[in-house]
Amino acid sequence: MTHLDRGVVQGPVPARAGIGLRSVHHEALLADRPAVGFIEAHTENYFHEGGAAVRALLRARANYPLSLHGVGLGLGSVDGVDREHLGRVKQAIARFEPALVSEHACWGRARGEHFNDLLPLPCTEEAARLLARQVGEAQDFLGRQLLIENVSAYVAFEHSPLPEWEFLAEVVALSGCALLLDVNNIFVNAQNLGIDARAYIAGLPAGSVREFHVAGHARNGNVLIDDHGSRVCDEVWELLRLAVARFGPLPTLVEWDNDIPSLATLVAESRHADDILRERRGLAA
Amino acid sequence: MTFCGSAVASLREVQESFAASLRDPAVTCAVLPPANLAIYRNNANHALREALAITYPVVRRRVGEDYFRQLATHYRLRYPSRSGDLHGYGRDFAAFLDQHLDDGDYRWLADLAQLEWSHAECSVAAECPAIAANALAKYPPEQLGQLVFRTQPSLRLHSFPFPIFTVWETNQLENAPPVDQSLGQEAGMVLSRHDGVEVRRLEAGLFSFLSALAGGATLGDAMTNADLDAPALTDALAFMFREGLVCSLSGGS
Repeated sequence: MTHLDRGVVQGPVPARAGIGLRSVHHEALLADRPAVGFIEAHTENYFHEGGAAVRALLRARANYPLSLHGVGLGLGSVDGVDREHLGRVKQAIARFEPALVSEHACWGRARGEHFNDLLPLPCTEEAARLLARQVGEAQDFLGRQLLIENVSAYVAFEHSPLPEWEFLAEVVALSGCALLLDVNNIFVNAQNLGIDARAYIAGLPAGSVREFHVAGHARNGNVLIDDHGSRVCDEVWELLRLAVARFGPLPTLVEWDNDIPSLATLVAESRHADDILRERRGLAA
Repeated sequence: MTFCGSAVASLREVQESFAASLRDPAVTCAVLPPANLAIYRNNANHALREALAITYPVVRRRVGEDYFRQLATHYRLRYPSRSGDLHGYGRDFAAFLDQHLDDGDYRWLADLAQLEWSHAECSVAAECPAIAANALAKYPPEQLGQLVFRTQPSLRLHSFPFPIFTVWETNQLENAPPVDQSLGQEAGMVLSRHDGVEVRRLEAGLFSFLSALAGGATLGDAMTNADLDAPALTDALAFMFREGLVCSLSGGS
């Protein structure tokens, strides 16, 4: 296994905007070294021993703090924690030394079949306890805290009695995890499920959030789809302002995974997030 | 599965009912209204089809987008995803095509898929440092026949009854003309390189020799197996060391 041989940016991820590491940008990112606060990579893309993606991330680590963001553990699945997958996450952590490791408040498989999607959980006591127990199990195995991200939903469960923010607060309280608050997903769910985005942000425990995500979404009739395929809309930037006011300036990732623009456009979009984080720092100073 | 009246479904029932309606649109989900469930069905289909399309670009080019979508749907029913990591999802596509196309004319697509799977594996494989030909010099000539070669772990060797390597090469560009299948059998290798993946046709004798060595045969047995004379053996060894295929030698004293 190739180990980091060029030095690694150590220490926490700064409270600045970061960008997702996508293969189409590898070359430009390594050549241009844009001044972004951190990079975030999908953990599952770095499970392998070699290859272009692994080499690019090993090189990028010399310049940027790293957040490893998992999309495949589905820690809310009633079938339990996928220990084989978790073992590979642990190997990736040992190899790339990320400052942040995150996953989603979702489930993803049933009876051995994976759906490779971030499927929503009903906001019930039972689901909160199961998710918290399995997040705790994963944290124990990995020997570190996980950040758990709220997901978008396109369907409302017939029985989902807790407000989503109370559900997440309970998972935090029971497992000791932190939250990765995806502001776009709050906006999407506000539209799709009729929940109150401001109440959501106000209702989460003050110290529970350690990172923000923002992204673009698409509209399909009355439904908003969290497709990460466009610019962040004004309403979502406004929600980010509210979130920064409540939780403080934190590492903020601009996600753009479909119709991926040039690196320059992505970096420009991340500057907008930086401006919002700076407004807050300006207020605090 | 139905949940009537005020009875609240357990989380297991919720997930199994959700899963059943994701697998089969005809199954009504007991815990979710049908509106928008199609979004999840489409997401899952799209993610799995994209994973296949990334792994099998040449198969897709040869059969066209519409038929590839059909194949992806059938494949998913036959080989559901078994991991939260999609990189391994296409592992059984060649076996699937072999069963699915067993009526003849398009059987070569299964071989093409095998080659593309090797390419996908090599694109994420590690390289081990190669040794140079002078490593042979420390063995007395009478021991050379007993040597065993450890070759690059990413090295994949294929021999097909169809001209699959030619199909693969010509279809790196869109709109390539069909390859004349009467060209017949071809053999070759796929290998992870620092700057990408190498796919290369090999002459039959060299292929047999490499296959024997990569399979753990001694140098003497590999030479016999491939029926190489002394000059051909020298060329084959020179090729292996020049191309960085040898990681270590063992077996001599």
